[in-house]
Amino acid sequence: MSIEVTGVNKRFGDFVALENIDLSIPTGQLTALLGPSGGGKTTLLRIIAGLESADSGTVVIEGQDATGLPVQKRNVGFVFQHYAAFKHLSVARNVAFGLEIRKRPKAEIKKKVDELLELVHLGQFAGRLPSQLSGGQRQRMALARALAIEPSVLLLDEPFGALDAKVRKELREWLRRLHDEVHVTTVFVTHDQEEALEVADSIVVINQGRIEQIGSPDDLYDRPANDFVQSFLGPVTTFNGRVVRPHDIDVTTHEVPGTTAGSVDRLTRIGLEVRLDVSVAGSDAPITAVVTRAEALSLGIEPGSKVWLRAV
Amino acid sequence: MAKYLLRTFAIAYLFLLVAWPVSLVVTHTFANGFDALHAIFTNADLLSALRLSAIAAFIATVINTVFGVSVSLLLVRTRFPGQRILGALLDLPLSVSPIVVGLALVLVYGPLNGWFGPALEAQGIHVIYATLGIVLATSFVSLPLVIREVVPVLREVGDDQEQAARSLGANEWQTFWRITLPSIRWAVVYGVVLTLARSLGEFGAVKVVSGNVSGETRTAPLAVEEAYLNFNQEGAYALAFVLASVSVICIAIVAVLRHRSGKVHS
Repeated sequence: MSIEVTGVNKRFGDFVALENIDLSIPTGQLTALLGPSGGGKTTLLRIIAGLESADSGTVVIEGQDATGLPVQKRNVGFVFQHYAAFKHLSVARNVAFGLEIRKRPKAEIKKKVDELLELVHLGQFAGRLPSQLSGGQRQRMALARALAIEPSVLLLDEPFGALDAKVRKELREWLRRLHDEVHVTTVFVTHDQEEALEVADSIVVINQGRIEQIGSPDDLYDRPANDFVQSFLGPVTTFNGRVVRPHDIDVTTHEVPGTTAGSVDRLTRIGLEVRLDVSVAGSDAPITAVVTRAEALSLGIEPGSKVWLRAV
Repeated sequence: MAKYLLRTFAIAYLFLLVAWPVSLVVTHTFANGFDALHAIFTNADLLSALRLSAIAAFIATVINTVFGVSVSLLLVRTRFPGQRILGALLDLPLSVSPIVVGLALVLVYGPLNGWFGPALEAQGIHVIYATLGIVLATSFVSLPLVIREVVPVLREVGDDQEQAARSLGANEWQTFWRITLPSIRWAVVYGVVLTLARSLGEFGAVKVVSGNVSGETRTAPLAVEEAYLNFNQEGAYALAFVLASVSVICIAIVAVLRHRSGKVHS
C-alpha cells in the first residue's frame, strides 16, 4: 500500500470536516476522492500532503510514518485547483524549482525539465511566463512541476475544476494516458462523478466527513452501498418505493402485466436520448425514465401519451 | 460637462497647493544661477547636515524595510490574538504629531530622567542628542510606510504559491526568498522609496531629540529652518531644493519601474 490513513479526525471550530477516516490507497493506481463540496475530500488530500494537520490519526506514505512530517519533507507532488504557478518564473524555471531546491547539477536539471516539458506537450513554451499560457497549459505545467521531484505520490486537488468543459474533458483523458505512462500513485479530488468514473481505477466516495464507499467505477455504479452513493454517481428516480436508474425503467405504450400506468408530462432531448417525466397515480413526484431517441419515435411518445412502466 | 468641471477643479487645486509653491522653491534656488547650490556644497556644516540626514534616513529605511516585511507577513499569513490591535497600532506613527514622538522618546531615553536613558548613558550609549536618537525618531515616523504597501499585495497574491513551493521541498527561508519576496518586490520597492523620502524630510521629531548642534546633530531639514530664521533665504531654498529633488527623483524612478513591470505582467 502506498498511502495508509488511519483514524484521522479533523475539525474546524464546530464543523466536523473528517470523522474517523481509515483509507488504504494501493501503489501505482489512480484513485479519485469523490463527493459533494464541503464533504471533506480536499481536507483529506491536504492532510495526506501535510498542508493541513489532522487532530488525530496517522498518515503513512510508502511505509514511512509521515504524520509529524512537514509538507516539504514528504516528497509528495501537489497540484492545486488554481495552478499556483510561480508567476515571476518562466515555465522551465517553474518545473525546475523542486530540483533547484534539491541542488541537483545544472545539466541534470535541464535534461529533466526538457523531458517533462515534452511529456506535457509544453516543449515550445519553456521560456514563457505562466501569464502567457492558457488555463489548461498552466495546469499541465503545474503537473510537470510536481512530477519533477519524482514524488512518491501525486496529489491533485480538483485539478480541472477551474477549466471550461471542453478543456476539462481533454485534460482528463490526457491525465489517464499520462498515468498509464508514468505509473506514479495518484490521488485526485473531484466533485464531478463523470470525471471520477472515466479516469479513476478506484473511487472513494466521501460525504459529510465520512467514507461512504470504496470501489472500482463498476462496483460503485452497479452495486452502490447506499442511496447516497447511487444518487451521487448518476441520475436516479424513485419507482414503487425503490431507487433505480432512469435507464433501468422499461417503457411501453400498451398495458402489460406487472407494469404501472402513467402519463407523460414532458419530453427532454439530451443528445441521443430522451428523458421522460411520467406522472403516476399515487406518486407525488414524477418518475424519470430514459429511452433512446429511436425508441421514443417508434413508440410515438409525446406529451400527454399514456405509458406503462416497469423496473428492469 | 461635469467631468470637465471636476477635472479643472482638480488641476487648479493641485496647482495652487503643490505645483506652484514647489516650483517657486526652484525659481528661488536659481535666482542667482548656481551660486546658492554651489554655496551648499562648499559649506562644511551644510554638507555634514546632508550627510547626517542621508545616514539616518538610510539606517531608518533598512530597519523599517526588514521590520515592515516581517510584520506584514505576521499580519497576513498568521492568526493570533490581538492581531487587529497591532494592525491599528501600526498606523499610530502616521496619525500622531512628530513633536509628540520626539517628546515621547525623550521621556524614555532622556539621559537624565528617561526610563532607560541613564542606564544606557552609564554604558556609554548616547541616544538623545546623538545620531542614535535621530535614527530612532526617523524610524518611528516612517514605520508604517512599507507595511501599508506590502500588506494589501500579500493579501492579493494569496499563499497558493508558497504552499506549492513548500510541497516541492522548499523550507521557510527558501520559500520567502524565491517565492514570497519576488511576488511582493514592487510593493517593497515603493515602500522603501516612500520611507526614504519621508525619513530624509523628517523635521519635528528629530528637532526634539537631536539637540540641533551645527556640524554634529543638525540634519538637513533643521539646517533649512536655521538658514530661514537667519534671513539666509537663498540658502534655505537651495537646501530645500536639494531635499525635494531627492524625493522627486525617487518617486520618478519608482513610477518608471512600476510602469515597466506592469507591461511585463499584463
